[in-house]
Amino acid sequence: MNQQRCEQCYSEIEAEDLRCVICGVVTPETEKPPRPAIEVLRCDNCGAAVSYDVKHAAPRCGFCGSTTKLEEISDPLEQTEKYLSLDVTTENARQAFKTWLGGKGFFAPSDLLEQTKLEKIHPLWWTGWVFDAKAQVSWTADSNANARESDWAPHSGQVSYNFDNVLISASRGLSDAEVQTLAPHYRLEAIQSKDELPNDAIIEQFETQRSAARSKIIHNIQTMAEARVHQHEVPGSRVRNLHVHCCLEALSTERIAFPVYILAYRYREELYRVVLHGQKQDVIAGRMPISWAKVLLVTSFLLLGLGVLGYWFSLQ
Amino acid sequence: MYTLAGAMTVSTEHYDCESCGAGLVVSDVQRSLVCPYCASPSVIHREPEKDRPSPDFVIPFVIEDKTASEKVKAFLRSKYFAPSSLKEAKLDNIRGIYLPGYLYTACADSDYRAEIGEEYLDEEKYQARDQNGKFVTKTRTVVRTEWYTLKGKHSMYLKDIVVSASAGLPNHELEAVEPFDLRFIRRYSPAIISGWVSEEASLSKADSKSSAHEESMAEIGTTLNRFLPGDKHRNLSYSTELRSETVALCLLPLWVFAVRYHPKKPPLRLIVNGQTGEAGGHVPTSWVKVLILLSILIGIGLLVYLWSTQ
Repeated sequence: MNQQRCEQCYSEIEAEDLRCVICGVVTPETEKPPRPAIEVLRCDNCGAAVSYDVKHAAPRCGFCGSTTKLEEISDPLEQTEKYLSLDVTTENARQAFKTWLGGKGFFAPSDLLEQTKLEKIHPLWWTGWVFDAKAQVSWTADSNANARESDWAPHSGQVSYNFDNVLISASRGLSDAEVQTLAPHYRLEAIQSKDELPNDAIIEQFETQRSAARSKIIHNIQTMAEARVHQHEVPGSRVRNLHVHCCLEALSTERIAFPVYILAYRYREELYRVVLHGQKQDVIAGRMPISWAKVLLVTSFLLLGLGVLGYWFSLQ
Repeated sequence: MYTLAGAMTVSTEHYDCESCGAGLVVSDVQRSLVCPYCASPSVIHREPEKDRPSPDFVIPFVIEDKTASEKVKAFLRSKYFAPSSLKEAKLDNIRGIYLPGYLYTACADSDYRAEIGEEYLDEEKYQARDQNGKFVTKTRTVVRTEWYTLKGKHSMYLKDIVVSASAGLPNHELEAVEPFDLRFIRRYSPAIISGWVSEEASLSKADSKSSAHEESMAEIGTTLNRFLPGDKHRNLSYSTELRSETVALCLLPLWVFAVRYHPKKPPLRLIVNGQTGEAGGHVPTSWVKVLILLSILIGIGLLVYLWSTQ
């Protein structure tokens, strides 16, 4: 399906948009019904003429009191459009989990593998937005570069940035840290239509309205542009009063479902959660138990060592 | 039919009421009317012309007439130097009007230049008398400012500029009750203006562009003032190129009051934003009130002077 785009900034426009959300240009009306030269709007119920009523925010018949429904201002919930396939089998996920558990290092309990019981393992698709955009970024800041008497000198610039395939999580189930671990390893080139998803697939819902989603995406672009300008554009090592204005073009967004395995395991009565990448099985994020006996032992050794060193220095 | 089209030349058109068939004479700036014989509200559809575009959008009324009257009363109460007869005048001539307004968008590329002040602490020596009355040199810390010239480029979209498209209501009057919340804008539908007074655009897009440019430059100036770094700045100057300009016609909800407060003076026009309730209008000054206040102030000044010379 070809997405309609703004004539000026070439950003994507949804069917319900009256104006481009980025630059405000009017979107063309799809169809204009033919109208007579003079028209009386009539009540659907009794046929009497109707007037717009402020209290009911709709045309209302003065005779029978019925109101005519107007086209609503549309701000629908975001819906998944595409998905990435689940390439890791349940058996491989189980095996990868065991490998992960076995390689958790010195501070893991010695009996971790023997005492761990995998309670649940199931795949699901979490949701997020992937966007592309161009931005003409204007900035000003104070930095210590070229400073004279004061610690600060002003600087300014304008630069073009491209944002390609940037992923923003819409998930309420995954933490930001988990998303940061998983996100870089998805193969976005292998994207598929949502219609091809397995019937029994569990997909997390977006739970975000379109306007809120757009605000979130634009806020993310702003934050990323600020970070890039701070890192690459402003001269000097110390910066303050950074102002960044983004003029966006060609913003396009896809609402995508990403595969992940959710695993729940129990170690000595306590339940832990792990998430495993649905396309790359060695990418895992999650909590694991710590052997406090080992932590105590190491701390004691360190304190003892420091005490001995201190004593030795005091004798010198 | 009440319109705001004012002194502009209007011609008339003839229609037959769709309900009762009565012949209606309508001025060509009216977009809606109510039949005087059967009270049926009608909406007129005209083909768009170069200087009279069809409406693209409409912002529906949210504020009712009673609320609008309260807003006007509160507005008049806040004007201390308004004539008392105005504050006591009856607000009975009130009409809800959909005013044509142009919604202007553009991309603004500016070259700016300003002097940026960066503050620093410095120590300076000064002469002061010590306990014995002798001059001694002391040191104190002062804040100094060094000035840098900063030049740069800035780009932004202008997308919420609204200017009057009616010759009857100048843009500065509309500005007094702005802004409108454009999130609740709707595609034009005759159902929204049915039963209300609505005008065609009586100013062309080209006529309204100068007002749109004025508002644009003011918005760019405000943005640039906030955009500059430093502890302070001065002498901001900028030149702007506006490109990709678009203009759409939007019908704006206004409650219009014609308040007669003096038998020999024309009625005063006050307006209320039909969406937000913001009231505005030019309120005359009562010079009697100003004179009384001045007299009181001069009296107090004289008393203080006399008391201080005793």
